[in-house]
Amino acid sequence: MDRRRELDQLLPLRPVEFDILLSLAVGERHGYGIILDAEERGLGAIPDVGTLYRALRRLEDQGFIAASERRAAPDAQDERRNYYKITAIGRRLAQAEANRLVALTRAARTSGLLGTTS
Amino acid sequence: MSTSPTLRVSRRWFRALLWLYPSDFRDEMGEAVVETYLDRCRSALERGGRVSLAGVWLSALADSLWNGPAERLRPAVSWRRSGDWGRDAQLVVRRLLRAPLFSLSVIGTLTVGLGAFAVVLTLVEKVIVEPLPYQRPGDLYFVWRDYSSFFDLKRGWLGGPDVTDLARAGGAIEGAVGLRRNRRTIAFVRDESAEPQEIGVMESSANLFTLLGVQPVVGRGFAPTEAGPDAPRVVVLSHDLWQQRFDGDSTVLGTPLRLNGELFTIIGVMGPNFHFVRHSSLGAPEGAAAYVTFPYDMGARDPRSGAFAGLIRARAGASRSQLQAAVGAVGAALDEREFGKQGLALYAVGVQEDLVAAVRPALLVLALSAIFLVLVLAANLGTLLLARAVGREREFSVSRALGADSVAIVRSMIVEAATLGALGGAGAAGLAVWGVRALVALAPLDLPRRETIAMDWRLGLAVTLIGVFLGVAAAVLPAVWASRSSLAAMLRTSAIRGGGGGRMRRSLVVVQVAVCLILLSSGGLVARSFEHLLRARPGFEPDSVLTFRIPIAQWRFPDNASAVAMQERIERSIAAIPGVDTVGAGSALPLGAGTDQSTIALPGAPGNTGVPEHDDVFVDVMQVRQGWFAALGTHILSGRDVGPVVARARREALIDRTLAAEFYPSGNPVGASAVINQDTVTIVGVVEHARQYDLHRDGRPQLYLRDADDTYGALSFAVRMHRTPLDVIPEVRAAIHRLDPQLAIADVRTLDAVVDDALREQRVSTALVSGFALGALLLAAMGLFGVVAGAVARRRNEIAVRLALGAHPHRVLRMLVQEGASLVALGILVAVPGVYLAGRTLQATLIGISAFDPSTLGGIAIATMVVALIACYVPARRAGAIEPAAVLREG
Repeated sequence: MDRRRELDQLLPLRPVEFDILLSLAVGERHGYGIILDAEERGLGAIPDVGTLYRALRRLEDQGFIAASERRAAPDAQDERRNYYKITAIGRRLAQAEANRLVALTRAARTSGLLGTTS
Repeated sequence: MSTSPTLRVSRRWFRALLWLYPSDFRDEMGEAVVETYLDRCRSALERGGRVSLAGVWLSALADSLWNGPAERLRPAVSWRRSGDWGRDAQLVVRRLLRAPLFSLSVIGTLTVGLGAFAVVLTLVEKVIVEPLPYQRPGDLYFVWRDYSSFFDLKRGWLGGPDVTDLARAGGAIEGAVGLRRNRRTIAFVRDESAEPQEIGVMESSANLFTLLGVQPVVGRGFAPTEAGPDAPRVVVLSHDLWQQRFDGDSTVLGTPLRLNGELFTIIGVMGPNFHFVRHSSLGAPEGAAAYVTFPYDMGARDPRSGAFAGLIRARAGASRSQLQAAVGAVGAALDEREFGKQGLALYAVGVQEDLVAAVRPALLVLALSAIFLVLVLAANLGTLLLARAVGREREFSVSRALGADSVAIVRSMIVEAATLGALGGAGAAGLAVWGVRALVALAPLDLPRRETIAMDWRLGLAVTLIGVFLGVAAAVLPAVWASRSSLAAMLRTSAIRGGGGGRMRRSLVVVQVAVCLILLSSGGLVARSFEHLLRARPGFEPDSVLTFRIPIAQWRFPDNASAVAMQERIERSIAAIPGVDTVGAGSALPLGAGTDQSTIALPGAPGNTGVPEHDDVFVDVMQVRQGWFAALGTHILSGRDVGPVVARARREALIDRTLAAEFYPSGNPVGASAVINQDTVTIVGVVEHARQYDLHRDGRPQLYLRDADDTYGALSFAVRMHRTPLDVIPEVRAAIHRLDPQLAIADVRTLDAVVDDALREQRVSTALVSGFALGALLLAAMGLFGVVAGAVARRRNEIAVRLALGAHPHRVLRMLVQEGASLVALGILVAVPGVYLAGRTLQATLIGISAFDPSTLGGIAIATMVVALIACYVPARRAGAIEPAAVLREG
């Protein structure tokens, strides 16, 4: 399978895409849930709603995430929300990005940008 | 929904913002996006109340303003990122070959439309935009004297001292040249048998070529010492003259030639692109075939006799206002020194600006019409491509459902349109090569820079690129539409066969009708103006008159009597040619702007008011021989023609109708006298005003002096005959050369041709603008036809149902025609401001008609409506042919 190389071509992911995959790796979420997760992580920019949904649609088209049937609470508002879950290939993509980031961190450490013990 | 009013308003706001996104995104994600924003609102309200809520609103606006359009453009952007060009091109070629009728009609329309555009583009580029071929051409200016404090002349020639003062001024003025152009008979010392020829000669200061920054290609220019009373007489030839008379032989350098009998040594030949023209006080700019220097000292000339054009160069970096100030200062000093402070000012006009000033309004109109034509063309191409895309809707939807990327669809459509555009543009560039040649042949003879107007590879490339751009621009709408067509949507709509793209297509038709109407109204006005010009009565009868000019050179006929005797002999020999009725001679042909001007007084005339500005009247002065008016067909209204000269008789003159009406409103001027240059002449008659400048309106008042009293020398002859004038030319030449083989015969033309030449600008504009307008009408009609035909095809089922339920076919027909007519009506409404603006632009070029002439504009609107209704009616009739039973069975 050349799948691995295909995935590598998609790296690095955009911050919003990685945010989505990170959140969905934990469990199913709707859009606002992903934003809240990103806020909680407290790293840099929180994605705009429009940016987020465009990315969701893109990732869905490419098969990295899928719409979920699950409904958290069956009230009127919740019916309008789209819930998403990560797919197997999506998880592999997130892993590839995470590995890339680990490799970068390692490189940063070797070049003395980060303390060796931290 | 248990929501607070605040959240309800917020929901509405977020819903509104969704319209910034494309519809498919809205359908799929819209509700979720709104809910997410509302979640943010709730948490904002908890945290910070209304202020944070406003923050969420604003950030949602910014977010949607960025992401909405970005999502709309996504297909185009990812198209740029990916793709297999080779395969796309292959597919496009295959598809275009499979639809040869479509391809050929698109390429053909583009070729003709863009070809016309290319011709106008070339004209504008070469005449107005391209810098003149001199060094730093933007720093060259002509200087004129404003005589308006004396008489009605804002743009008068300079005196010799003006030029020398300008040359000495320094400061912002780097240098100055005096120029004077005249016609001389050239004779070749090498080849005495050659027929003498009259050529234009530019007489100038020695530094003309240095000032222009142009040097001869063969030999040299004038040395500073080669001007003035004692300087050797030298001549520089134009490239054309060198080619025509010396076959481009460079051994002519150093050899002599005669100009009006005087010997000159040839020292140089200018390059083929040097077409310097001296701008003129009143007439059109004039070029020359040979360049010589002044045989006198400019500073010693009479400062009050204006005879020179002043050409100056601004110092590099000097601003326009600094230059004007410097020229003004020279003028003020001269006014004080030579005219006793009478307020005669000097001013400068940029050379290129002045050169094109007269044609600029007409070219602007042409350029705008051409741009409008391209707009119609783009809209038309858009409708065609949209129709084609709609025809392939099923294919797109199915291939998308099978996993084809929307990007691929956009890419293929854009590549297809760009290919068509490139082919059409290249065809247009080729067509324009001939188009420009034809246009130059028809263009006014005094069109500035006429000889340089030709297509070149840069313009050809530009037109091809415009074709590509047009194709891509026209393909964007249909391509984006097609990329978003989905199987689901198609199945939904095809149930009623509503079909997609209808709204886009209808808006394109409205645009076409509107732009077409603007073009048509301009075309109509220009045509009416031309018609008005054709009907103008210029004060003479141009048919069956041959004209030519014969200079009677002073070096061969030194005194008045011998010159007049020669003129009489010429007249007699021409009158003897069979078929000739009348022969006359005068110093200036009508419409030639070739008269002299002078102030005259009419002492004792009842029209005098005692105000010197009125009573010293500035008139055109011409000299005529007996028979001139009869030959031109200019009526003598009272009195008689000039008579033969009787020894020591009074000098005779005629005045024109306008002068008589002003100064002798009730009485008869015959027998009264006029004073011109201290000479008193007796008025023997009043003639019709034969127009000197414009066909459609009178010029200055006119005074005709009897030429025999003091001959002008180079008279134009007018020969009225009852034969075809062109057939008589060889006999005229033979008759004159029998008299004297050394006489040059210049400007042999019929008087009809003189009038035609005066009509050239209007004729070309009329042909082009109305051609563009009719082309646009055709395109708009095609667009309309397509929309209605499409509607009939799409609504087959609906129409079948209506018919089956008993609707009368007429009602169905009316419904369809109404759909088209409403688009036309909308187009006409949209066009109103455009028609108004186009009228404002046109106003300056129209003759005898207002730019808002109600009958023309109304007629055009009605004509457009009629053509449009026909374009709707013909395809709509197809609806009547629908057989309900058959259609419903398939459907």
